[in-house]
Amino acid sequence: MGVFLQYTVIGLTVGSFYALVALGYTIVYGIIRLINFAQGDLSMVGAFLGWTLLVSFGFEHLPIYIALVIAFVIPMIGTAVINIGILQFAYKPLLRRSLLAILITALGMSLLLQNASELIWGPAIQAYPPNLLPLSGFFVGPVHVTYVQIALVIASLLLMGGLVAFIQGTTMGTAMRALAVDHDAARLMGINVDAVIRIAFVLGAMLAAASGVMLGIYYVQIQFTMGFLLGLRAFTAAVLGGIGNIPGAMAGGLLIGLLEAYTTGYLSGTWEDVVVFGVLITVLIVKPTGLFGERVAERM
Amino acid sequence: MRDRFNRTPFWSRVIVVLALIGATVVFNGDDYVTSVAVSVATYAMLGLGLNIVVGYAGLLDLGYAAFFAIGAYTSALLMTQAHWTFFATLPFAVLFTGTAGAILGYPTLRLRSDYLAIVTLGFGEMTRITFNNWEYAGGPNGILNIPWPNFFGYELSTQADFFVVGLVLLAIAMIFAHHLDHSRLGRGWVAIKDDEFAAESVGVPSLRLKLLAYVMGGMWGGLAGAFFATRIGAIDPTSFTFQLSVLVLIVIVLGGTGSLPGVLLGALVVVGLPEVLRQFADQRLLFFAVLLVGMMLLRPQGLWPRIRRKPKPFYGLQEEEPEDVAARILREHQAQIVERDLRHTAAGHKSSSAGDVLLEVHGVTQQFGGLRAVDNVSFQVRRGEIFSIIGPNGGGKTTLFNCITGVQRPRRGRILFDGRSVVGLRPHVVVARGIGRTFQGIRLFKNMAVFENVMVGLYPRHRTMTWQAMLHTPGERKDELRTLQESRRWLSFVGLESLAGRLATELSYADQRRVEIARALAAHPHLVLFDEPAAGMNPTEKLELMGIIRKIRDLGITVVLIEHDMSLVMRVSDRIAVLDHGVLIALDKPAAIQQNPAVIEAYLGREDDELGAVQEA
Repeated sequence: MGVFLQYTVIGLTVGSFYALVALGYTIVYGIIRLINFAQGDLSMVGAFLGWTLLVSFGFEHLPIYIALVIAFVIPMIGTAVINIGILQFAYKPLLRRSLLAILITALGMSLLLQNASELIWGPAIQAYPPNLLPLSGFFVGPVHVTYVQIALVIASLLLMGGLVAFIQGTTMGTAMRALAVDHDAARLMGINVDAVIRIAFVLGAMLAAASGVMLGIYYVQIQFTMGFLLGLRAFTAAVLGGIGNIPGAMAGGLLIGLLEAYTTGYLSGTWEDVVVFGVLITVLIVKPTGLFGERVAERM
Repeated sequence: MRDRFNRTPFWSRVIVVLALIGATVVFNGDDYVTSVAVSVATYAMLGLGLNIVVGYAGLLDLGYAAFFAIGAYTSALLMTQAHWTFFATLPFAVLFTGTAGAILGYPTLRLRSDYLAIVTLGFGEMTRITFNNWEYAGGPNGILNIPWPNFFGYELSTQADFFVVGLVLLAIAMIFAHHLDHSRLGRGWVAIKDDEFAAESVGVPSLRLKLLAYVMGGMWGGLAGAFFATRIGAIDPTSFTFQLSVLVLIVIVLGGTGSLPGVLLGALVVVGLPEVLRQFADQRLLFFAVLLVGMMLLRPQGLWPRIRRKPKPFYGLQEEEPEDVAARILREHQAQIVERDLRHTAAGHKSSSAGDVLLEVHGVTQQFGGLRAVDNVSFQVRRGEIFSIIGPNGGGKTTLFNCITGVQRPRRGRILFDGRSVVGLRPHVVVARGIGRTFQGIRLFKNMAVFENVMVGLYPRHRTMTWQAMLHTPGERKDELRTLQESRRWLSFVGLESLAGRLATELSYADQRRVEIARALAAHPHLVLFDEPAAGMNPTEKLELMGIIRKIRDLGITVVLIEHDMSLVMRVSDRIAVLDHGVLIALDKPAAIQQNPAVIEAYLGREDDELGAVQEA
């Protein structure tokens, strides 16, 4: 039982990272029906930007709170700019063309981010400062919980809360929800569709970057290839929760995190991806609308 | 000269070109150049297979490397464990991957296309990981010491030998792919890519065709995999990564999706360029990524685009005898119906021409959320009549059509056609049973010529098998010619023979509607459902339409019509049903409908514009 709970703690921590990336998928898909393959790679770029600031620029030696704020905020802004660039340059001209064309382009952007990052930061594994946050923790019964885990989960929850508040509480959020239902009607109501799409890409990139930095802090090691699997798991989470469904993406992320932790713990790490893909394929075949129902309809 | 070359059969052109390339490389190239050429041939084979899936059928497959892997492992295991020769393993490698394609495709091809891309990606990775964990196949070390192919005692071992084998396999793969593309299957794929819903509704079995593309793609991949295994002599899971799937995708995007010479060119670039630019080898993926995005944005048709030769309608057909077309069609149609009846009775059903009632709708209810679009509607359509359904917008008329044609499954109720239930059948099966339809909003295949649109309508009546299409057998050629001939007859039946070669979208609105009618008729239905055929037509065109509808009835085909134009409905119909808010409020002869208080009230109550029309007509 103790072991099980321990895995649960790990799963929830990792799951909260997945949830953040999954939210990016879900927001963008909800609005323009595009699987932004680059989502996981944006997370990787965020992780590397954070690493550059902390290690290369030496911000890790600043007081911890200032260092953390810098390490989160600047990568979030940086990846948002990159994602807007991708949108304007690559996706925008294709939005009226076939789904196939835009999917292939999205795949190309993912590949581009990966290999450009390899060129910039090198193929080697880089390490986050290991002692950024206190490594110690405490026991709750038999379960060991670290302060890092608590801090990261709280940070994820804050980001998710902020996102929900934005979407439910602001005019822009309302416009996003309207657009998810009907583009033309939204446009006729005077909503600036392009602006809303841009906001969706900004939000998606910011969440991805934040999760990338968190992964760096949690696992310490980062590499330019990390975005591929991260993206796939997060996409699985988004589909599991029902694509376009924001609470669904959060729940899906946590579920995938748990699944991964249990598989690694009880089975073996080599099967972890097979299990995740198995879940993805099963969900898509058996219940393509996800566990909690999707919020979008396919365009005919 | 060039013209003469283009007129020779495709297979002879492929053989000439590949033989020239082969001779040039083998006699002039050193070992290094030849080995690069072998790799180009391998990628070209992979590209040909993926091209069937992506280029022809329009399905994005991101796990294509899995088929390559399965082919390679099948062949390698048979050679090392069972000591078969390479050529003996080939059919099995191809068969195995084809089966794998069917097993994967069957449950997943119903998915929308973007999900399918992700599922295939997952399948590709799972396959690789499975081989990685599978001890019998060597686990991460893979299979070593795969023997060289032995050809009647002669061991093929030099790069030149492999290149010749590779070219032969490539030639076969190319010729078969070309034949498929130019058969009814190719036409079906183009239709599905254009508008899957319309294709299914006029009789194209879309799921089966997509599955077929998948299986074919898998088989080509398996062929390439087997060739790869014997050529390298050792395989391991790292040869079959996601990266390979992406590279093959780049081959076809670069060359031009759907284009066979494009695939060769794409393979040459993807394999050759990193060899030429050795010093940038580390950045080759970055380069390809830029190329991929750049191509999609600037030249989506590829470097060597698929040539859509201006379609020559009725090319190679003999002039028909100056017999009256209508009489000829009538004869053909009756023969068709007799033939279908024979099959019908042979299958143990009641003879279909018996009985007065052709279509029986009984207590049909369809509900969307809280809205009852069709509420407990019952009526019978008699054989040979023109039956109209009228009523205000939102009355449930099109929903009823969708229930009859298998697009939707009604919540409750029975629909009997020819005495047999059609509820729960897929739309293309309903077409094969003998119900044709047109659409409220025109749904022609935009990338096809008019006569090709009608040929798609003939899809359910093809009698040839896939292997015949692949080999382009005389039987298949005859079948195609017959299809062409019939499409011409149906076009002349609706008066559009002279526009046969135009693209469907170039036609006027009224003419597009007529093409839809010809496409529906081409399947030789017993019953046609026309959804607002007169919408957007001027009075002259409406008159012509009325003439066509009567002509159709004279062929013995029963017509059910949804129409808002009251003068047309009143003049052409034998009986009229009125649907209001999903409820059948009247069913009678035109004259009686005009006097029916319930109908008048239904229109009066809403102060509908159509009221005037009802009384005027």
